[in-house]
This record gives sequence, structure tokens and C-alpha cells, in this order.
Amino acid sequence: MIRAAAALCVLGAWELASRLRWLDPFLVPPPSRVASVLYELVGTGQVWPHFRATVWEAVAGLVVGTACGSALGLLSATVRPVAEVLEPVMAVLNAVPRVVLAPLFVIWFGIGTASKVALSFLLVMVVMFFATYTGVREVDPRLVERVRTLGGGRRDVVREVYVPSVGAWVVSGLKVAVGFAFTGAVVGEFVASSQGLGYLLSFAQSTYNASLTLALIGLVVAAILLLFWGFGRLERWWLRWRPTDPEPVRRAPKPAPAARPAEQAP
Amino acid sequence: MKALQVRGLAVRYGTHAVLQGVDLELGEGEFVGLVGPSGCGKSTLLRCVAGLVSPASGSVSVFGRPVRGPDPEVGILFQDDALLPWRTSRENVALPLRFRGVDRRDSREQAEAWLRRVGLLGAADRYPGQLSGGMRKRVALAQVLAARPKLLLMDEPFASVDAIVRHFLEADVLRLVQEEGISVLLVTHDLEEAIALSDRVAVMSAGPAARVVREFAVPFGRPRDLVGVRSQPAFGVLVEAVWDALRSEVSRMGWEVPA
Repeated sequence: MIRAAAALCVLGAWELASRLRWLDPFLVPPPSRVASVLYELVGTGQVWPHFRATVWEAVAGLVVGTACGSALGLLSATVRPVAEVLEPVMAVLNAVPRVVLAPLFVIWFGIGTASKVALSFLLVMVVMFFATYTGVREVDPRLVERVRTLGGGRRDVVREVYVPSVGAWVVSGLKVAVGFAFTGAVVGEFVASSQGLGYLLSFAQSTYNASLTLALIGLVVAAILLLFWGFGRLERWWLRWRPTDPEPVRRAPKPAPAARPAEQAP
Repeated sequence: MKALQVRGLAVRYGTHAVLQGVDLELGEGEFVGLVGPSGCGKSTLLRCVAGLVSPASGSVSVFGRPVRGPDPEVGILFQDDALLPWRTSRENVALPLRFRGVDRRDSREQAEAWLRRVGLLGAADRYPGQLSGGMRKRVALAQVLAARPKLLLMDEPFASVDAIVRHFLEADVLRLVQEEGISVLLVTHDLEEAIALSDRVAVMSAGPAARVVREFAVPFGRPRDLVGVRSQPAFGVLVEAVWDALRSEVSRMGWEVPA
């Protein structure tokens, strides 16, 4: 409620400032202008091919990046030599701003969809690698021992302990990864492309069209928020066993890897 | 047949001898309390019996079988009530049954029966995070018993609950193991708890190379009244005798023990 009111206040002030020319409406158009541009974009259907292209690239990068990142994370956590090779590589990839590779991907994969998916994939993969890798290593050994002493075999340990506890990390990681997936797609398009929201953004920028730029930013944010909300629901469902009362549970794993990947440079 | 037979057991962590020459026996249906100075290796002994730690030498057998890993007839209740946080009480209790291939409906019914016996049927659908510490202990107890163990190993099982809850948990344990004819080895640092619950109390020496140095028979039958038993003169005499044995062990560790 308070947040909605605050947002309305900010929008109102912005509208007023822009109309009264305290802010140059050419640089900072009022929200109503942005909304009408957005309405036009969506209404005429002009934006859909671009929107679809970007969402497709981001989702493809997200799916493949999650699959590969999780698989490599799992492998590293279970096979020691793999971890010794992969961990430093991932740590370096994690430390550098991975978007600097965008021009290289354009050279390698062309200006089509492939270079955007590749960038999106790379961004997501590193996040999901660390989410899974950390998740497996954070599994409570007492729970593993408990299942074993109750007569559970290897498969029972995996099903009853590893899947639920690593899953919590993966689902949290996904929430962070959504943003990265779109970063990859849009930045990739920004560098070189013939369609997509990033392409439109680059066009809007080169024609000094602030309203169009803001409208496009709004679209990207909306797409991310939608997926973010979806994964948030998934996370709540996955972690439905977590107590809602303030009493802390010592036994619960801490599925809050969001704190770490969020610090990463895109 | 002996429920548990430990002969000349030695356990080493690297070059450090934790246990050396441990002998201990448990008859069927017997309740034995194991006390000793902290850090002497009581828990290691228990983990060894549970098949979680391999001995360097000596033998451990339960019901005549040498221990080579977790045994389906041995139940374990440790201080950490490691219930699966993502499973409800009912699912947690049903876990050992599911591992044994009991079908879903049967294991569900048996789990509910066990929850009823520990007085927690009403909490069947709650997750461990929604239960108090004492309730979690009860669920853990029901879970262990659902596996139908014939020997139950307990390591400071009630250390983290308050005195009142603890009393009721002790009474529950005593009643249930009596009803089921389960043999129990209880590790505790609480002398009075050991004496109040056990048929026999074994005292371990100070480490390193700890072993069982003394055993005391407890002169009370079972079932027994856990409150009434403590007020009997024989109880005080026994506490003093066990305490004396412990004191000489603790002083061997280099502590100044006031007499």
C-alpha cells in the first residue's frame, strides 16, 4: 500500500515537473507521454516481433544456461578433479563483467539470434553453476547420516535430502538468473542486431527519442518482473515447509544464495 | 543372545587413540547408561556400534552379527534431532518404513499409530520448523521406533530441552522401550538421568585411550516411577558411588577436583 502510494507520488511529481518544464520534456518526457508511446507500440503490434525475439533469446539462454550450469555445478560438487579445474574458471568468469564478450560473440556467431543466446547463456550459466555447486556442498551431513541410519540407500539420500535442499538453491538462483538472461539478450542486441528490444533501444537512442527509450525499458522490466514473480511463486511452493513465524529453525538450510550472485558483475 | 557385545575395541583418529580395550555387553531388553568425563569417547563408542565409525581393532557385534555399517535392527537417536525439515511429522515418521519397501498407505497408517503413541497425532501434518524442541524430539523418537529396532542407541538425546519436557520425554522413552522389549544404550553426562533410567551404569575412563572402567547395577526394577525412584535412599547411595568413580577419572585428566 505504502509502496504503491509512494510510486504514485513519484510519478505525479515527475509528470508535474515535466509539464511545468522544470525538467526538459525532450530529455525527461512526462509519464503520460511514455505511456502513450507504449500504448502505440503495443496497440499497432509493431513491437511484438521485437519483443518475441528478445524474450525467446533470454528464455533460451535461461533454459540452456540453467541446464548446463546446474549440471556442471553438480559434477563439480561430486567429482573432485572436475571442481579443481572448473571452479577457478567459473570464479574468473564470475569476477569479470561478462558482457565484454558480446562483441566477440557477434564475430563468432554472427548478428543473428545465436550471439544473443550465447551471451545470455554465459551470464546465466555462471550464476546457476555457483547456486548448484554451493547447494550441494551446503547439504546438511546430519540429514544424510540420518537417512542412512534409518535404512535409506543412495537413491533415498538423493531423493530425500539432496533434491529438496539443492532445489532450494537452484530456485533462488533462478530468480537472479532471469535478470541476467535479459541482460544478455538486450546487450547482445545493442551491440549488433536486426531485431529485438535492444535493437529498438539502440534506434531510439540514436534518434534521441527519450519517450521510446523509456517505453522500451518499461517493456523489458515488465517481462523480467513476470518471470521473477513466477519463480518467486515456485520458490514459495518449494520452500512451503519453512516456518512463517519468526522462530528461527536451526536445521533449515539457508536458501539465500541470491545475496551472492546478485553481487556479480553482468 | 547378547544384544550388544563389544570386545577389546580400539578406535583411532590418525595416531590419536580415542578408545582402547573397550569391553561392554548388553543383554536383550537391558537398559544401560554410559557415563564418562566429557570428551572421553562415549559418542565415538556409540557411533562405532552404529556402524558409522570403523574400529582399528577389536570386535563389535549386535545380536551375534558383526557390525559392518548401519544395521536395520539398530535405531539411533542423537542430540541433533535431524528430522527432514521439508517433510511433515507423518512423512518423517513414515520414512524408515518407506525405505523398507512398505507401501504408502501402510506406512502412513503405521506412522500415525506411532505419532499417537508419543502423543503427537495432532501434529501429523506440521513441518519440523513448526514444532517446539520437545515435540521434535518426540517425532524423532517415533521415527526411530517406527523402524522397529531391537537395539536403541541414544547420545545425549534430551540435552537441548528444558527439565520439565525432559522428564516427560524420559518417561516416554522408558515406557516405549519397555513395551517393545528394546535394548538401550544411553550416553549421557547426567549421572542422575543415567541411574534413573538404566538397569546398569557403565563408567568410562578419561581419554585418550578410554575404556569402560566400572559398572554399577541399578537396584530398581522396571517399570519404575522416575520421580519416586530419585527420592529413595539407594538412589543417593548409587549417585555417590558413581560420582566417586567419575571423580577419580576426571582428576586423572589433570583437573583439580574438590572432594
